[in-house]
Amino acid sequence: MRHHDRHHGSAISASNTGFRGRNYLAQIAKLADFWFIPLTIFPTVALSSAVFGFPLLLSLIMSFAAWSIDEPVLAADFVGLRNYRDLFADPVFVASLCLTLGYTAATVCLEILVGLAIAMLLNQDLPYIRFFRIALIVPMMVTPIVAALCWKLLLDPTYGLVDYLVGSPIIWLGDPTLALITVGGVSVWQNAPFVALLLLAGLQSLPKEVVEAATIDGATKIALFRHVTLPLLSPYLLVALLLRTIFEFRAFDNVYVMTAGGPANATLVLSIYVYQTSFFSFDLTLASAASWVMLLIVLTVCLILIATMRRKEPD
Amino acid sequence: MISSPRLSCKTGFYYVFLYGSLICFLVIFMLPLLWVLGLSLKTREQIFTTPPLFLWRPTLENYFTVLSEKNFLISFWNSFLVTTSTVLVSLFAGIPAAYTIARYRFPGRKLIFFSLLVMRMLPPIAALLPLYVMFSFGGLINTRISLVLAYTTFSLPIIVWVTRDFFKTVPRDLEEAAYMDGASRTGAFLRVALPLAKPGITTAAILSMLLAWNDFIFAAILTNNATRTAPVLLSTYAGSETGTDWGAIAASGILVLLPVIVFSLIAQRHLVSGLSSGSINDARVA
Repeated sequence: MRHHDRHHGSAISASNTGFRGRNYLAQIAKLADFWFIPLTIFPTVALSSAVFGFPLLLSLIMSFAAWSIDEPVLAADFVGLRNYRDLFADPVFVASLCLTLGYTAATVCLEILVGLAIAMLLNQDLPYIRFFRIALIVPMMVTPIVAALCWKLLLDPTYGLVDYLVGSPIIWLGDPTLALITVGGVSVWQNAPFVALLLLAGLQSLPKEVVEAATIDGATKIALFRHVTLPLLSPYLLVALLLRTIFEFRAFDNVYVMTAGGPANATLVLSIYVYQTSFFSFDLTLASAASWVMLLIVLTVCLILIATMRRKEPD
Repeated sequence: MISSPRLSCKTGFYYVFLYGSLICFLVIFMLPLLWVLGLSLKTREQIFTTPPLFLWRPTLENYFTVLSEKNFLISFWNSFLVTTSTVLVSLFAGIPAAYTIARYRFPGRKLIFFSLLVMRMLPPIAALLPLYVMFSFGGLINTRISLVLAYTTFSLPIIVWVTRDFFKTVPRDLEEAAYMDGASRTGAFLRVALPLAKPGITTAAILSMLLAWNDFIFAAILTNNATRTAPVLLSTYAGSETGTDWGAIAASGILVLLPVIVFSLIAQRHLVSGLSSGSINDARVA
């Protein structure tokens, strides 16, 4: 009891009087210094293991088990690769995988092309160019759900602005082929500005001397772009490509709001597939297997990204 | 900058072309949002006219409707609570780690660092399913706490990556001077490095705030009617077809966007490098 009191008292009087209290604090400080690295790292490591490491391990285990959420955990049976076999035997999954790969490839290519065009424009030394650069930040940051909702109103066949401008009532989200293109288009609309600003940063970091030297040597604009700008910009293009691939592959929000995977599974991207399998059919083990297929694909892209970053930052 | 001396003496035609294309892009990227802003300022009759109305006397009626609606206010409040808690939790956990990763070499440093990148990059749906199972066993389903925990999967990496970059720009000499004056490691971190990295911490906080505010996928699963966030409420409007209250939908959308736009513009200089999680250096564009 006495012991406890002494500690309590010293903590309070530490700042004004107690010599003993200062000593006590100094000891804590000394300990904190000794354990500085583990102490500062611990919260991040603990939190990320709890919300990420452990869950992923759990889903890996679930992907090899036969189990449903109303059963006790210990009732789960190990079934080897059965869930993965079932998954690849499911035509809906295979279609969804192909669709997602195609969707990702198409949207990423378009985003990079449009982004590059805008970045070249924004890189010109013009009055008021800052205004255009800043304006582009808005669509990039808009809440994806709100963006999708806005486009849903804009694309309405009866009262939407787009069909008025086009001049004929097109049912953008009702036709299987058109729906996928439309959903991808909205994603390009939202994310091309990010690519543009990223590539603009790249363009602005190009060594001026090289560009000037090439110009003095009489290089045409096209030659300058092909032989100087593009090669120097390639690290930024690669980062844009990898990042956008990672983020388009997980597409969910815009699809969920605009088509919810329909019509007739025409926009059933993998995220929606996993979502439906988990939370509508409640087949958690199959969904875990599907999400691990997704994880492995993204992890591959991610490792390429890390490799490029390590080259940039050797230590 | 690729403007050669030859270009500057080109004719006005070149400038017309440049500004023409710039304005063209601006219209494509801004018009949809401006149109919806317009919808939010129209009455029901003005919205459902063919051809659409381009000039009208704006009304705030829709905003009054939305702001007096209990569902909207609750979801807005939930969004606010969850977003602030996410940012605070990630800041407290992440900043010390970011500092140590920037300053010290220790075994496992690269591993922690790149694991955090992977954590940010892997598809959220893959983490969501096991988190759902965990939270339902822990009785946390439909609580805001579960959402805050789930949001740290993207917010913690952002905080660590962005603030680490800023700690790296703080000159080491300052801390060494502090050590000479008898400061401890903790003292050097708290009194020297932390105040100097303040702009970085602000940027990181804004970025993780924007991502938490904008999230839909986690909130859609981990919340119910009482704890749902604004994007989840908005998504319920999408299911219903025409005949619903477009004015109110547009007004709620605009209200959700307001903080996003304000904070994006505050953090504009560092948004791009932050969103690319440090994979490019110093992307200050504007």
